[in-house]
Parts: sequence; structure tokens; C-alpha cells
Amino acid sequence: MAATLNLSGLTDSDPGLNDQSASSRSSNRSLRIAERDRRKNEAEDPFALALKYFSDVEAGTPVIGNDQFENNLVLVETVAYSKGLPPEGISIMLEFAMSLRMGNSPCVRVLKCLIPATVVPQEAVVRAVVWLCVGKIPISSQVLFIKWVLTVFDLIDAKDQLRAIYGFIFNFVTEENLCPFICHLLYLLTRKESVQIFRVRKLLELQSKLGRQPFLLYLLSLYRVFCPELVTLSIPSRMRSGFRNHNSPWKSALIAVQKKNGSQVSPTISLPFMTNSRKRHRHLEIPKLCSVVNKPAQTEPSFSRKVVPFMQLNSFTELLENLHRIELPAQMGSLLASSMALHYLDCVQDESALLRLNFWLGYTLHEEFLFNSDGGASQDLDEAQQFLNKLLFTQDFLQEGFSATEAFLYKFLRVWDGSLLRPQILSLLSNIPVVPSLKIGRLLFEPLMQLFFTSSVFFKCGLIECLNNMLSKWLSWHTVYALEDDLDISLNSHTSINMTLSEFKDSVMELVHFVGRLASVGLQLESYHSLLLSFILDFYETVCDTFVKYELPLIVMPPAGVFYPALFATEPVSVDRLAYIMYRYKVNLTSAKLDIKQKMKASHISRQTFYEFNHYKAIMVNCLWNSKMSEPDMGLQLKEELLCKSNIPEYWKSFDLINHPAFMSCAIDFHRKCWPRKRNVDLNSIKLSRPWTWYLQYLYSQGYNGLKQFVSSM
Amino acid sequence: MFKFVSGFYCSIVNMERGHSSGVKTPPTRGVVQKSKNKTYQQSYRSCLRASSRFALTPALTARRLNTSRRAPRLHNITEKVRPEHLDILMKTEWKLAYVTPLYQFRHTQLQSYSRQLSEFIAAEKQQGLAVEVEGLQSSFRVSFSVVPGMTEADDDAETVLIQIHSKPMFARQDKPQKPVWSGWLTCINGNPDYLQSLPQDFICLPLFGSSGSEVLTRLVQSWFQQTFDCCFGCLEISETCLHWLAALWTNCHSESSIQRLKLIWTIPVKPVLQVTYTVNPQDAWDLWSDIRKEPGEENEGEDGRSVDIEEVTRFIQGLKNHFYKHFKLDLSAGPLQQVSTALGSAKYSGRIKISSSRYMITTLTLLTEGALLKMPI
Repeated sequence: MAATLNLSGLTDSDPGLNDQSASSRSSNRSLRIAERDRRKNEAEDPFALALKYFSDVEAGTPVIGNDQFENNLVLVETVAYSKGLPPEGISIMLEFAMSLRMGNSPCVRVLKCLIPATVVPQEAVVRAVVWLCVGKIPISSQVLFIKWVLTVFDLIDAKDQLRAIYGFIFNFVTEENLCPFICHLLYLLTRKESVQIFRVRKLLELQSKLGRQPFLLYLLSLYRVFCPELVTLSIPSRMRSGFRNHNSPWKSALIAVQKKNGSQVSPTISLPFMTNSRKRHRHLEIPKLCSVVNKPAQTEPSFSRKVVPFMQLNSFTELLENLHRIELPAQMGSLLASSMALHYLDCVQDESALLRLNFWLGYTLHEEFLFNSDGGASQDLDEAQQFLNKLLFTQDFLQEGFSATEAFLYKFLRVWDGSLLRPQILSLLSNIPVVPSLKIGRLLFEPLMQLFFTSSVFFKCGLIECLNNMLSKWLSWHTVYALEDDLDISLNSHTSINMTLSEFKDSVMELVHFVGRLASVGLQLESYHSLLLSFILDFYETVCDTFVKYELPLIVMPPAGVFYPALFATEPVSVDRLAYIMYRYKVNLTSAKLDIKQKMKASHISRQTFYEFNHYKAIMVNCLWNSKMSEPDMGLQLKEELLCKSNIPEYWKSFDLINHPAFMSCAIDFHRKCWPRKRNVDLNSIKLSRPWTWYLQYLYSQGYNGLKQFVSSM
Repeated sequence: MFKFVSGFYCSIVNMERGHSSGVKTPPTRGVVQKSKNKTYQQSYRSCLRASSRFALTPALTARRLNTSRRAPRLHNITEKVRPEHLDILMKTEWKLAYVTPLYQFRHTQLQSYSRQLSEFIAAEKQQGLAVEVEGLQSSFRVSFSVVPGMTEADDDAETVLIQIHSKPMFARQDKPQKPVWSGWLTCINGNPDYLQSLPQDFICLPLFGSSGSEVLTRLVQSWFQQTFDCCFGCLEISETCLHWLAALWTNCHSESSIQRLKLIWTIPVKPVLQVTYTVNPQDAWDLWSDIRKEPGEENEGEDGRSVDIEEVTRFIQGLKNHFYKHFKLDLSAGPLQQVSTALGSAKYSGRIKISSSRYMITTLTLLTEGALLKMPI
């Protein structure tokens, strides 16, 4: 019997070579010549000759004293350890070893040097398994062989035929010594169709004999993934370390060879379970992916669509292929755990599924941060932080906030101290969708106001930044939605929250006014802290562009409490940014006006806004340019006598571009550069028309582009 | 002012070992109280309309404890519910929990749930041994059953009773299995707006009571979590709820004697002071009927006038005032921990015993409201 198999083995192990030559023959002439040269070289190559020896050697050839055999094997070993064996070499040597043509001792020696250079042909492995079934190989060699298969499993070029002989491989589980390794191999090969009730029974029977062995458990747990209706089990936490790595004999050699060859294929044996021994907070644990046990009863047998449980998908490609027939996991929360699942979550349309997710998320947040039933969140801040970061990542990924987060935040803001997990909470807060203007005060503003006025300047900055982000998200949402509506004939058919444009405008206006109030009082409280002012100006940079950038017919001017502190700020950056903001307001208002004229629509922008803008503009120009302080209707009124009392000469000039505290140093610098010989600095000399133009040019060259745009647009 | 100076008795106990536990006011209290002032969002309504699928601006309907409720009627529950079920429900003290709505729960599949849960328990109990589904008898037998009649409103889902029987490890073979754990899921007079807003796939049974070993409770809960994608959280009986129960039970005194009204406070001083305040039933009833009479209206119809939260507050305040007169100690300083009468007892920690079937529905209605309040959305 061995002889016949042997013969067929010879013819079978060649196709690799034949295929190669066949394909090259069909290609062009020069290749053919190259191929001929190569084959000629091969014929003279001692390694090729050695391989030929092993494929041709007669069964029963003695080993002891056989120098030819010894020399050839040493040659093969040298090649194997230095470069690795080519696929056909693997086929020949594996066939030689497993057929026991020269007994067991060369078999072990050959198996140990089977280091693949690139890939392992599947046929070779299948044939070796066939030899395993013949049953002549000593058990230690069998174990060695399976260990080798496990090591090179990822390098086997295809697995379909191996899966086809799943049943044969399964038979070996009853071999006590082979069982752990066979289980691992089966674990790597198992597909849904391989899970059968008789196999489950066999494994359970083994379990009753061998006790709770990890390898049986892992295989069974995989069976459970595919067929939860056949088997139930729970894996104890201390056992969750996966199969032991059985690749030691080849590992280092394989890595060395692979490194030398610069090969991309890494022999990583996929470990079934992640080691996660750290104790987790009960509430913050994201549930494990599990398939549904109770399938909804199929009412119509004709409609028995084949579904694929999400857990069985291993790659993004598989996800794409099965996108239309994926079965949701038993616990929706588990989707948050993997990034692939997030891709899927983005396409989930099932409302119940999203509601399940929201229930879980809301429950988790409430229990952890509001009900604190297990002793308070403070103990495990790290985990809480990780959880919130994961949530933030998810929301950023989906570009939407969850409603459970929103509902949670409204409650949490009322008990928050403003410092616990501040970055996370503020980021979550900036994700909340548009709040109806009727509710916004009670839900958001009341608690935020309390927090704002009782916290440090850094919290104030953080909150303004958060509200700025919130506003820009609302505005972007509006642009997207408005664009969609242009395409859609039935207007308002899918507004996200059943909100009309005017309601949306009300909400935005409420928010902007709210920030205006916070900013005015906050600046006073913090004595015009420049960092806070900078965050506030950030906010108004968003506000001033609502019409042009976001196409929202709404323009809100900053309150005097923000305008004057920015105008009289001591840092030139703030004044410059204010100038830029005023310039953008002008652009927006002009285009709004144009829009009204073109479309013959009623004005959306109130006259009050235009008035306010002109008023601010006049003040700015007067202050910075015309050196005039008191205008009849300037927002702040100081009595002439009072100003005179201050004993500041020519006080009305104090805030022009030369004497403004923010620009004085620039003016002096300029003065030095302009008249380097002049010893006493007379800033008024800049006021003359020529130096004035130069001075302006000098300011622009210092990077004050806001001023430049403001001045050129006036 | 109140004429019931006679016959009350009061004990003040210094809790020796309660130093830490007593001083610490439960962290949840502030939040729970707050939640009552604040309206809740009920967001799934808009969820169904939303094109934005994760974010939904809530419909913002107010959800809070009812401020007035019908006085407990003599329920003919004995006609509706089988006596053996009532026995089970009344026999023990239950530990309460709230449950988010169950996804794909079917009252018709209780048989198969029984099987699955018993296998689950068996697998969990002997961690690391797989168990064949539909295999041999496990040591735990679980039975799910419907309690017919245990509903009030049309939207309420039928109450489900779960019992676990087991045999002690070293018991003789022929000994019958003994009940080791029981629990139920119910919804009595649940807020119809809330219930109707849920999609069809969900069954809302927000109130979960269990009695038996903690380990089994956790196993049952985690099986529910994995099978119906729901979550279980502790349900405390809030102070307001305890006040309600005290008043509602007292209100029944004329029909069925409450024997005593016992209230326990803990006062946060060092060492912690536990105040047990036992009121003679007749005195309590007199105080209550005084308060009830004050608006000057007579009973409207058979059902009796509904009880208002203000009456309840005044009742409790009356009791506290009386205590203050004698002991110069204001009981408002500490949280109310427990209320008990012959009709039942309730503890802040979320344990309740209902001793009279006649007032079961009223009590469960109140508790269902409390459970719905805890829902995350």
C-alpha cells in the first residue's frame, strides 16, 4: 500500500514545477530562454539534485552508513536554515518524511528543518495528513507534524482542501497525545458547517474523561459561536489565555529566514482570546460579542434568508460581502468594542437596534456617574476616562451623538462639579444636537451658568471652547441638511429633529446670546484675562460667518461687554482679531443684503443688526483711525470733565493706532526704524500722511492681517 | 394640635458599629430627589421620526412620580390571580431592581427560556465545563411562568414569575428538588405614554423582584442581559416613596388593621443614631383622617377621593412634629430608612414585603413608577 501511495506521491508533488514551465512556455521567447537557463542551472544545482534524491529514493534504503543520503540531507538542512525551502522543496521533503521511506529517524530530522521560504503548498499538507491516517508513524512524530502545521498555518497557500478533510482531522482528537494540538488545528479550520451535533457530543465526552482542558473549551467555545443552540458554556476568567504556542521548534529559525527574505507573511498564530486579566468596573464593561440564541421565529419558510451572525465576520471585506444579511449581536453594546463594528453601526437602520444600544449606553452612564451604586466613580477614574474616550471616539466616528448621552448629560450637568473628567464631559457636551429654544435654557444654560461663574478661568475657557464647537456642529448640521433639502422635493420630510428653520434660528440665537452674556460677565470677573478673551474671540469668529460659511440667514453682533474689552485690549492680537471679525461681519452683511435684493425676499436680518454693526464700525474707525473718543451715541458715555480730570493730555488720542496700549510698542519700533537718528520719540510725527501710510504698511508686515482686511474694506 | 399623645412608643438606639455606614448619606439621594424636580426626556418618540439616528431631541415629556394617586381600593385580586401565585408573592421579602425594556421577549416562549436559563446556570456554576444544549438533567431546574391577572392597565405586560429548584449536593437521590430562588418581573399601571412609545419588539417589565442567593440573582440577571439585551440596576425605594407607602397603608386602616406604623430613621451623628418610631395604629389613623378631612370635601363616589402628595407630606410632617415636641429632635435631619405596618414593609435599600394581597396592586403601582423613573431614556 505504501508503495502505491508513494508512486502517486511522486506524480503529485511535481505539478508545481510543471505548472511553472507550462506558464513560462506560453509567454514570450526571451522568457523562455531565461527559463531554459534557469532549468539548466537547476540541473547542476546541488540543492536541486538533493531534492531529486529525496523524491526518487527507494523505500527501504538503509540510513546507516549511507553517505549520499547524509550529504544530501545536510545540504537541504543548510539551505532550509539559511534561506528556507521553496514550496516544491517543502512538498518533496514532507512527502519523504511522512512516507517513512527510510524509517522514523530521518522523518523527525526532516520535519525539524521544514522552514518554508515563502508559502507551504496545501496539497503537501493534505497528503501528509493522508499519511497520518495510514497510522504507521510513531506518535511523537505525529505530534511534531501537527505542531509544524500549526506553526506554518498562516503560510499555507489555501485552506479549502484542508477544510474538506475536517472530519478526518477531527478523528484524531481521540488520540490522547495529539488532542491538544488537533483541537488547535480544528480551531483554526472550523467553519459553521463543520459544527455538527455528533462532534459536539464527542468533545463533551472527551471533556468528561479529560476534565476541563483549555483546548477542548476553546474549541467548544468556537462551536458555540457558530451554533449557540448546540452547546452552552462559560469560560472561567483565569483560563482565558488561549492555546499555548506550539511553534517553538521552528519559531526562531522561521523568523530569521523570513527576516532575511524580507517576506511579508508573518507566522502569527491567531490567538483566540485576548488576555484581559484586569478586573473591570462592572458597569463600564462593554459586553462581549455573542450571537443571538433565540432566533425570531421565521413566519414564512420561503423567506428564510440566510443570515450571518456578526461575530463570524473577521475582516472588513467579509463585512462588505455580507452587509445585507448580517445578524445583529445579542447585545448591541458590544458593537462599540471594535472599529469594524462601528463601520457596520453606521449603516444600521433598525430603530430597535439603536434603541437597544441607547438603553445600554444610558444605563451604563447613569449607573456609573449618577446612581453610583457601587461606591462612586472616583475609585476607577482611569476606567471611566477610557470608557468616555471610547464613547467620544465612537461619536466622532459616526459624526453624531447618541441620545442616551444627551439625556445623561442634561442630568449630569446639574450634579457635576466642573472638574471630574472635564475634557471628556465638555467634548461630549459639544456633541449634543440642536436643543429646541424653549428647553435650552432649563436644560443647558441654567446648569452651565452656575458652573461657569463658580469655576476657574480655565474652566471658563474650556466651556466657551465647548460651546463654540457645539455651535459649529449645529451650523454644519444645518448646511448639510439644507443642501439635502434642495435635492429633496418634499421639504422638511427628513429634518433630523422636526425643526423648522425659524426654530433652528431661535436655538442658535439663544446659544449665541447666552455665550455673549457669559463672556461679558466672565471677562469682568476675570479682569479681562487675555486667554479667556482669545477663546471668546474664537467663538465670534464662528458667529460672524454664519451667513456666508453656513448659509444661515442669521447674524448676531457681539455685546458691548465683548466688543469694548477686545477693542481696548492690551495685546495687539486681540484687537487684530476683532478687526478681522468686524471685516467678516461686513462681508456677511453685504452678501445678505445682496441676497435679499436678488431674491426679492423679505429681509431675514433685522435692521437692528445693521445698525449695531455700523455703530461698532464707526467707533472702531474713530478710535483707531480718527483719534476721536467721544461720539454722541457711543455705547459707553463718560463725562468730559471726568476725562479731563484724569490729566491725560489729549485723551481722545489714547486709542488710535499709535497710542493704543496694544500698538504703542509697534509705533515706537516703527519710529526708530523710520528716523533712526531722532533721539526723542515723537509719536505724533507718524500721524503725518506719509509716515502714516508707511506705518500701516509696517503694521501689516507684522502680520496684523485682520487690521489690513478691516481697513481695506472700510 | 394632634390628639394622639397616648400610646406611642419610641426607641432610640445607638448603632454601635454604624459609624461609617450611617454618617455617609447615600450618594444617590441628591440625584434621585433632583430627578423629581426635573422633567425627563422621553426620547424614543422622536427616535422613530428622526433621520439623525443616534441623536434625537427628546420629546421632553415630563416623567415624575405622580403627585396624586387613587386611594387603594379593595382589590379583588384573589379573584383574578391564583392563590398559589399570591402565596409566592406574599411569602417573602423581595429585593428590587429596575430593568430596561426586554428586546424580543415572548411570553409564548417561556418553556424554552426555562431550559436555556437552567443550562446557563449549570454552565456558569461549573465554569469551564461545556454543557450540551438539550442534554441531560442539570442540577438546577428553572421554571418560567405567567402570573395571569397580575396586570392593571391595558398596556401592562403580563407578570412573569421565575423559580429555580435545586437539590442539595449531598441529598439523597429520591429527595425532591427544593425551591432555592424566585423572582418576578412586572409592570403595574405603567406610564402609558412611555409604554406606547416603545417599538413592538420591546416588552417593558421594569420592576424586578428577587429573593434567594445573590449569586443566583446575578446569574439570572446576566442571562437576561445576554438574551434580551437589557440592563439591571438597583432600585432603592426613595424617601418620597416611603412616605407614600406610610400614608397609603395608614389610609387602609379602617378596612384592614395595620396593627402598628413603624418608621425608622437614621440620624447622621457620631455614633449614628437610629430612631425607631412606632405609632399606635388608631393614632396614626386619627392624624391621617384629620388631614384628609381638612379640604372639607366628602368622598366622591365609591373609589374614594384620590390622595395628594401634599396630604402625604403633611402626614409625615405631623408625625415628625409630634416627635420633636417630645424629644426635641427633628427627624428631617436624617433619611427615613424603613416603613412597616402589618400590610407590608419597605426599606430604603430596595427591599419590600407585601403582606396583604389586597394592597398589592397599589404598592406595585408605586414601585413600577419608581422603576420607570430610573430608566435611562
